[in-house]
Amino acid sequence: MSADAADLVSPSDVTASAPDTRGSSSPYARSVFVAGALALSLVLAGTVAIQVIFAVSHTPDPHVCLANDIIPYQPAIEGVSPASGVQGWQGVCNIVLGLTSTAEQFVLILGIALGAVTGVIGVRSYRRVDTRRKRDHLITGAVFGGQAVNFGILLLIFVQSPQKFALQFMNFYQLRGHDGWALVNGIKFTLLLAFGGEIGGIVIGLILALLEISGRRSVRAPATVYINVFRGTPLLVQLSIIYFGVNLGLGLHLSSFTVATAVFALNMGAYSAEVFRAGIQSIERGQMEAARSVGMTYLQAMRYAVVPQAVRRVIPPLMNEFVILIKDTSLVIIIGLYLNQLDLFGAAQQGYSDTFSATFFVAAAIGYLIITLPMIWIVNRVERRLRSGLVGVTGGGA
Amino acid sequence: MANADGSIVRLEGIHKWFGENHVLRGIDLALQQGDVQVVIGPSGGGKSTLLRCVNLLELPDKGHVWFDGDDITDVRTDLNEVRTHIGIVFQAFNLFPHMTALRNITLPLEKVLDLNSGEAEERAREQLARVKLGEKADAYPGSLSGGQQQRVAIARALAMRPRLMLFDEITSALDPELVGEVLQVMKDLAAEGMTMVVVTHEMGFAREVGTRMVFMDGGVIVEEGDPRESFANPRSERLQKFFAEIL
Repeated sequence: MSADAADLVSPSDVTASAPDTRGSSSPYARSVFVAGALALSLVLAGTVAIQVIFAVSHTPDPHVCLANDIIPYQPAIEGVSPASGVQGWQGVCNIVLGLTSTAEQFVLILGIALGAVTGVIGVRSYRRVDTRRKRDHLITGAVFGGQAVNFGILLLIFVQSPQKFALQFMNFYQLRGHDGWALVNGIKFTLLLAFGGEIGGIVIGLILALLEISGRRSVRAPATVYINVFRGTPLLVQLSIIYFGVNLGLGLHLSSFTVATAVFALNMGAYSAEVFRAGIQSIERGQMEAARSVGMTYLQAMRYAVVPQAVRRVIPPLMNEFVILIKDTSLVIIIGLYLNQLDLFGAAQQGYSDTFSATFFVAAAIGYLIITLPMIWIVNRVERRLRSGLVGVTGGGA
Repeated sequence: MANADGSIVRLEGIHKWFGENHVLRGIDLALQQGDVQVVIGPSGGGKSTLLRCVNLLELPDKGHVWFDGDDITDVRTDLNEVRTHIGIVFQAFNLFPHMTALRNITLPLEKVLDLNSGEAEERAREQLARVKLGEKADAYPGSLSGGQQQRVAIARALAMRPRLMLFDEITSALDPELVGEVLQVMKDLAAEGMTMVVVTHEMGFAREVGTRMVFMDGGVIVEEGDPRESFANPRSERLQKFFAEIL
């Protein structure tokens, strides 16, 4: 087997790293690096540590809290007074006390000062060192220092009066107070909507794509119209028209959950059709010709030769569309789901109207991140592997 | 069953345009059973297009192709059926990269010829052995050398038991040291009496194995005849110039 052929078998191994030729560092460069890292940790980790200490070991003094505009909760006394104050005031108060503490001021100012010094030293000296590793250490130290200054100043401004913000957005007790499982349930229904839409969308999209690549305009036209209509109108409008117009207007009375899933599938179909079309057209023409030349019909050639290869190539862009769809499912709120089928944003909205605590929206955002971040991570990995050629279109050869 | 004139395939007045570009300008060609028709000429002269017009991967804009007594340029022709009798091997191999060598061969046997999987596999292994790749049945194309891939592609075409084989510059994409093994397969095939049209830049092969030769340039057949005769005494000025440039 030739050298060329051997290259085909094992594309250059991307996991093996080149030999380290960056040279040695020096105590000076290393200490700039450490100082920068320390400054950033003071600002970020210091703030977190202070919060943890306050949360764990502190029972807030109601008077101090009151002085910070956080009114301790008083349960209603039958016939005497209604309930008053903020449920979850202890938690909010602890957050505020931590942020406004002397310790917090101290770590921020120290971090900013250390960061500024490190940044200046690093920037001024990185050109004059003689090895690449020293230079790396100096630059990284300076960058960390700069980040410490930036975050430190932002936090320093914030901690001057964090009371209102904390009351609105950081009353995590409220999440438990309403219905502990409402948001978890919301994640479940968000995923159901998204997966339903995605699976339906893939089927619709593949059919549309096959119509779109036809050589005959009469075959392409309906698919083109469909794709343009669904890509050219807002999802919000599609939900409204199909739920209020088609479902209620025609008296079908399907549940809003069913209709929403269908609309997401119809919408996703239009977008994934474009992805599939690009994927199919990216397969070399020779594949179709080879299949046709042994007597396969056009559809057989598509089914056995072209589409299986295209599917592998469209996985990353399709997953990107899926991430977008996950977030777009929140638009279902326009048609309103049943209370026991609320999606993540719907559940947060419900929690907000029950408690008037915007913490629910913060929690919803975190919930969406919990779903989307792993997907984004997977997409990036798959894309990188596809690009590196380690996962070609071959099933097992490479 | 042959054409009225006894030929197995006959091209009559073939014209082909790609947009403004008039690629084939009236080609006539007829092959008898067992002919090894080599087609040579400079790049862009229409050789590959001519070959692809034989199994109608390119539809001629004018003219007729007769195969086995039928005008296959007639719109009523079942081209899928016709193509099962005409094998083609491409310059770029065009194996299906997501299938093993064996599956590349059995797929059309099962889906087009309706053989059951046992018969298909038996026939495929026979053909792999014929191109001396019996032990590579389970390898994916990506793990085969160019020469091996091309031999699998030949086996895939032969497994259909075609009456005519078309070869489209099948050694042009190969490293020089891999050309020999592929040419050998074609030589064996010619020796077994297969009717073949071979578009090639391998002049040694053309002279040695070809029974007839055409020289194409500018979309027309400039000269045709016996390969050894033409190589020794090219009649036209253009062929003389062509040989002078490449030999």
